[in-house]
Order: sequence, then C-alpha cells, then structure tokens
Amino acid sequence: MAKAVKILLAGEGGQGVQSVAEIIAEAANEEGREALYIPNFGVEQRGGVSIAYLQIGDEPIGAPKFQIGDIVIALSDRAVHRTRQYVGPQTLFVYDSSIEGIEDALPTQAKRILPIPAIEVSNNELHPRVFNIVIMGAVIKATGVISVEEAKRAIEKKLGYKFEKNPRLRELNFRALERGMELVAQAI
Amino acid sequence: MPDKPIEGEKRVFMTGNEVVAWAALVAGADIMYGYPITPQNEIMHYWTRLAPKFGREFLQTEDELSAGFTTIGGVLAGRKAFTATAGPGNTLMQEPMSMAEAMRLPTVVVIQQRGGPSTATVIYSQQEVTMTTLGGNGEGLRIVYSTANHQELFDYTIKAFNTAWKYRFPTFVLGDGYQAKMRESLTIYDPASRGIELVEAEPFLGKPGVPGVDRPPTQLRNTYNVEEELYEVLEGYFKDYEKIAPEVAEHEAFGLEDADLVVVSHGVVSRACKAAVKELREGGIKVGYFRPITLRPLPVDAIRETASKARQFLVVESANGQLARLLKEVAYGCPVEMLSLFKPGVGITAEDVVSRVKEIAG
Repeated sequence: MAKAVKILLAGEGGQGVQSVAEIIAEAANEEGREALYIPNFGVEQRGGVSIAYLQIGDEPIGAPKFQIGDIVIALSDRAVHRTRQYVGPQTLFVYDSSIEGIEDALPTQAKRILPIPAIEVSNNELHPRVFNIVIMGAVIKATGVISVEEAKRAIEKKLGYKFEKNPRLRELNFRALERGMELVAQAI
Repeated sequence: MPDKPIEGEKRVFMTGNEVVAWAALVAGADIMYGYPITPQNEIMHYWTRLAPKFGREFLQTEDELSAGFTTIGGVLAGRKAFTATAGPGNTLMQEPMSMAEAMRLPTVVVIQQRGGPSTATVIYSQQEVTMTTLGGNGEGLRIVYSTANHQELFDYTIKAFNTAWKYRFPTFVLGDGYQAKMRESLTIYDPASRGIELVEAEPFLGKPGVPGVDRPPTQLRNTYNVEEELYEVLEGYFKDYEKIAPEVAEHEAFGLEDADLVVVSHGVVSRACKAAVKELREGGIKVGYFRPITLRPLPVDAIRETASKARQFLVVESANGQLARLLKEVAYGCPVEMLSLFKPGVGITAEDVVSRVKEIAG
C-alpha cells in the first residue's frame, strides 16, 4: 500500500496557507480518503512563519507531523529558510518566483525545485485575495491528492455563502484554482 | 431544545478539542468548569457554543485550582462535571484531584499535554504521564486513559464518565497538543445507538431522608485525626482499586508471538510505532507492538506476559522515560532488557522508530 503523501505549506500570516491545507484536507476526507492536517502553533500571537502539515493517504495516518515532505511549498523569504529542513532527496520544492535574494537559501538536496509565479499571476491576472486558491491548484496538480471536482466542491462549501451574494467570486476562485494547476503543469 | 446532540451517527472531520466537547455532550456531562490554557482552550470554546443548545452549563473560574474544586462541587451535587487543562494547569489541578481521590469522587479531567517543565511550550509532549497517573499527595487512586486518535478521543471521553461514576475514582483522558489541534476524521454517535448505557449520576450530598435513620449517613472526608483511621480507609480503597483494575485495564498489541523485540508506546506516539512495526514486519524483521491504553491502572498481566516472552522492550515516548518508569515497576523481575527512544517534548515519527530498531538489530 502506498504511503501517505506528505505536504508542507509555509508562508506569512495572511497568505492563507492554513486555510488551503484545511480545504484540501476536508476535500480529501469527503472523497473518503484518510487525511490529517495540523498547523504549527506557539506562544507568538503574530509574526512567526505559518506552517501547515498535511498528510493524505488510504490508510490511517501515523504521526501528525513529519520530518521530510513529499512536496514543500514556501511562499515567502522567511518560509524558504524555515522549510529547508523538511526537504529530502525525494522532495519537490515549490516556491514563489517573485521572492528575491533567496538563491543561496534554496535547498540543494531536493529532487526538484520549482519556482512558480503565483503571486504575480494572482495580483495581475486575478485578485490578490485568491492567491491561496492559486496555491491550492498548484498543490493538487503537483500531488494529485484530490480531484479538481472535489477541490471545487470544497471551495464551494467553504465560500458558498459569499458566492451567493456575488456569483463572480465563484468564477474568480475556480479560475484561480485552474491557473494554479496550469502553473505547475507548465513548470513541470 | 433538541433532545439529543447527535442522532444515530455521522462521520466528521474536526479538531480533537472539538471532539472532546461533542463527546462530553453525548456522555451527558451537565457542566464544564474551566480556566483557559493552550492547547486545550478550544474544548472550552466549543463547549460554550454547544452546551446552551442542550441545556448544559459552563463556569469559567479564576484558575485551575478553582476549576478542579468547582468540578468536585458539581460532582457532590450529583452532576456529571468535568474540566480540561494542560501543563502548569495540570500541576495546579493535582491539589483538587487528590481531594477527589480522598473522597472517591467521579471527576473527569481531560489533559492535553504540552511541553514541560513549567511554561515550556504550548505545543506538545508526553511529559504529563507521571503527574496525571501519580500526581498529588496521594497514591494514584485514579484511572487514566491515553488516547491515540480522534475516534478514541471520542470513545474514551464517553467511557471516562461511565468509568468514573461506576467505580467512583477520578478519571482522566490523557491527550496532547497534537491531538488537540489536528484535524482528522472520525464517527461521532449517540451512545445509545451503539448499545452504550450511560451510568446515571447521583448526588453525594442532600439526599432525601434522615441520615442514620432512612439511609446511611454520607461521610466524605479528606481529614483524619488518627493515623490508624486513615490507614484503614486507604486499605479499603486499595482493595477496591485492585479489584477493579483488571476490569478497567486495556491494551492493544500485535506481532508478539514471534517477536524478540517489542516496541512499547502510548498515546499519539503509538501511531508512529504501529506504522513502524508494520513496515518492519513486512520487511521480515520480527518486532512486536504493545500499547497500554490505560496508564493507570496498567494492564499488568499483559505487560508481564509480554516481558517474559520478549527479549527486549523498546520504549518510545515524547518524554524522558515517564512511561518507561511505570513499565519497569510492573515488569520487575522479568528478564526483558529495556531500551529506549526518548524525545521529550518533540514528536516521534515512524522513520525515527524504524531507524532505532535497525540500529538495535545491528
């Protein structure tokens, strides 16, 4: 039996890494798969790098946290530094290509390093607020842990009340999801 | 007001703290007393949201001493009362819980362990084992369930109320910060739909009738004038505890029949150990898995039997040997060699366990 896929998302507070992890975990659960999501938390109320540990598989998940991720996604300068330790020879390391001055901090042992212009795409083509949905698209394309349909259902479940008022938001979010998937598809 | 919090059963995906609040609701808890401390805060948050919908109560106290003593008060009044705490809060909780031991009161306390000593981290550990099993100025006359996943957190929180009220010993559910904060799936249910009968609560004080005439007088004491009197009472308690221990003790094990080395763990760490033992066995390495579910009382016969057959125990815990000390006492005289993988205040993964076993195997 295949082992669970281990996903680590890291970014600044407000980038939405926790909500992305939660939506993917819930979507996987809805598909009847085993999912476990745990945020990092500490005494600080703000200012730390926000990390989400997410595991999805077909058998009950073991330890809640892990040392090496199958995919590690870093969305800020500090997140790149903070997540190096979770990268091993089999890890796909994804980071936002707009982050500057981190060339020396990029992990050297990763299986593959994938810069994607998620911030640029969400700011210029979509809306800064759907940045996390772009990332969600990137994660599901890179890992295949949930289907696009289930991802959309999960977004609908989470944000449906907002879509009721403004149906264009639905379109925007679904477009963001697809763009995130395309970014990874192009990079690979 | 809806009658039952849950009709039948349903699959849910939530945090462990939310699981505890739901479990306490369906277990018929009447009131929670509490004081905030990470990582158990959300038990209070969810309880305060859910409780009013079902006619249950909540009281926030000024500290954990008070939360413990008010829980005792609730129990004396015949209410299913509980509290939840962690770390330094658990330290303060020991004073009221030793009174609950002295009076044989069915208090229920949920502990979500965090790093220690002192404030340390608000995150995670298994460093509250000694304190939860044997804390206070007493003899550990209490029952402690150590859960490993959300399903167990639900099942054993319900069970804790039943065990407490059936046997009249303070009962603890020992979780940790990971279990508190992580989200995973489980099935929540109405206990009646599973044939689980809830033990009724009854008041200790204010019973009808004239004491000594219509009914035996209620004597609740935590103070004694003479040594012999205390000794006599405690002897009675020890006898009761010894009698119920085999009924209460629970464990989980596999792969013991051909194992030279048995990996022993409890709580959330046993998830990693289970995965590691399965992987090692698939790779042809004969290791066993043993996990006490009750840390107090321990499954003594099962531990001694395992310790008599196996050559080595590898004790794995996120503490510096707190489980190992309990095991050594129980396995005294058995020829088993005690090896360890201790990571106090830090999580342990299946990879950690696999590499330690391989290192031992050489």
